[in-house]
Amino acid sequence: MSVPILLPAIGEIFTQRSGILNLGLEGVILMGALGGFVGTYYSGSLWVGVMLAVAFGMLFSVIMAVLSVTIRANQVIAGLALTILGAGLSTFLFRIIFGIKKLPPSIEPFQAIKIPVLSEIPILGPVLFQHNILVYLTFVLVIVSAIVLEKTTFGLKVRAVGEHPQAADSKGINVYLIRYICVIIGGAFAGLGGAFLSIGYMNTFLDQMSAGRGFIAVAVVIFARWNPYRALGGAFVFGLASALQLRLQAVGVPIPHQFLLALPYILTILVLISVSKKAEFPKAFTLPYNRGER
Amino acid sequence: MKKSIWVLIALVIMMGALTVGCGQDNAPTGSENEGKFKVALLLPGKIDDVSFNQAMYEGMKAVEEEMADEIEVKYVEEVYEVADIEPALRDFASEDYDLIFGHGFQFMEPIIKVATEFPDVKFALGTGYKTLPNTCVYDINLQEGGYLMGTIAGMMTETNKLGVVGGADVAEIYRGHEAYKYAAKQVNPDVKIQELYTGDWRDVAKAKEGAISMYDSGVDIIWHSGDGIGLGVVDAGKEKGKTVLGNVADQNVLAPDAVLSGVVYNFSPVIKNIIDDVLDDNFTNREEKFYWLTVANEGIDVAPFYEQDDQVPQEVKDKLTEVKKDLADGNVEMPHFEK
Repeated sequence: MSVPILLPAIGEIFTQRSGILNLGLEGVILMGALGGFVGTYYSGSLWVGVMLAVAFGMLFSVIMAVLSVTIRANQVIAGLALTILGAGLSTFLFRIIFGIKKLPPSIEPFQAIKIPVLSEIPILGPVLFQHNILVYLTFVLVIVSAIVLEKTTFGLKVRAVGEHPQAADSKGINVYLIRYICVIIGGAFAGLGGAFLSIGYMNTFLDQMSAGRGFIAVAVVIFARWNPYRALGGAFVFGLASALQLRLQAVGVPIPHQFLLALPYILTILVLISVSKKAEFPKAFTLPYNRGER
Repeated sequence: MKKSIWVLIALVIMMGALTVGCGQDNAPTGSENEGKFKVALLLPGKIDDVSFNQAMYEGMKAVEEEMADEIEVKYVEEVYEVADIEPALRDFASEDYDLIFGHGFQFMEPIIKVATEFPDVKFALGTGYKTLPNTCVYDINLQEGGYLMGTIAGMMTETNKLGVVGGADVAEIYRGHEAYKYAAKQVNPDVKIQELYTGDWRDVAKAKEGAISMYDSGVDIIWHSGDGIGLGVVDAGKEKGKTVLGNVADQNVLAPDAVLSGVVYNFSPVIKNIIDDVLDDNFTNREEKFYWLTVANEGIDVAPFYEQDDQVPQEVKDKLTEVKKDLADGNVEMPHFEK
């Protein structure tokens, strides 16, 4: 269950590296979940659903890009507005598209693929190698993202824009364009994360099904200090804590379940406190760029 | 910079207006049918959630049709956040609604507050414990529902491992879970029961994850105590080919092979009861402010087995009939589960 946290987190790494904080991930995930479901429902193809989810995520995050880059609005407020809008709009569109039904519309989700040989390994096998294709895709995307950010000119431009937009601009890098692209990349990833929820893990769209995972993703990004591999670790730890607390509850450990439920979040806070001192935010983080200002 | 701040504020307000608009697209407008008894029903979720909200909606619809000449009902969905509840209640109270239903535990504090401000308006709270002269509580005696499910699960299990999954640990759910465990042990002393709460009513993915981990550890029957998270449990049962017992609405339609049976709520008798009491001027003066859905008043029933009917031994069916009768007559002895 780390995937719907990891995917938005990877996208958010791009966004934040370019100097933009997108707190609206929660809303983008919900729009992606809706897009994924609608696409699959009407086309009958899960991949059309995935594409529509990514498209919904990108389109929806354009709002964030306009607000934060062009209008230079306060990014915290704009992000929260996006979260609220996404939650309301996805529910609203779902009702408009499907109407009131006695039976919730559903689809056949992605099936788990067992990788031969590797999935037979005891303990590790079922944990790592018996998942649906989106999970494997996520692992690939982690590696690709790390390479793009660290080894390509585009990655260098992104980091330059996040660290010192004036300098980047003077070298002929289009700061606005890079930031737009990064926010939209973030939207694509978050949309894919939403698709994982609605057509990868569940078989339908439900209101608020992201249940706070967008915010955890933002925490994971800071924990990972903007590195996709560490984000993989962070999301995995959170997923593990979440699975562990469910198991502990079920076997009847004599700890109040309210505490167990809070465990993954307490863990997140503790980890954040301990690593936040080491975290070096991009220099131009949350600072809007204005060519006219010096 | 100044200008951009104003643009942003304008946008935020617009977005706010938009989302609020979504939640309240049935907001009260002037009534065309003057003189009728005006009822408002505020639901925390959607009327097609195959659960708590749908059951209440259908119950109210049935009463509305039956009493079409006397009452008119307004429905509002998705009043989930406590911050939205109070203004919504106040809207209806100031629009001269006679009776307002708040369908959920989170309505309790707002109802108590608004009911003090509008002493002439009557309020009905769906589950909770606080009351005023002009409010009442309607609640599900889930103890009886849990007892019925525990009886089925305890007799039907092959692995002697059962599970129960709930949303938040509130009074009604707690009683249901305890009675489920109690009844299962009555019919099958060897049974082991795993229990977990997701802590909210909406995180389906978490509920599914928890249910799958239960099935993987050998559990073969899980009862879930309802709401959105229940869909996650049903989905887990479907995926793992194991048995699920539903709650609130008849959930067989969701996964006919996995859902064996379930508790079914019928709110109509209780709604009718409340409305009649208000109309007969027998509401504010009564001492008993709790209206219970029970087996006796047909507020609680057991869903049919449908195509799995032939897999259920006659012995189980007989026992179920017997337990139902005993519950209705008040002949079942079980402890009073209270925290």
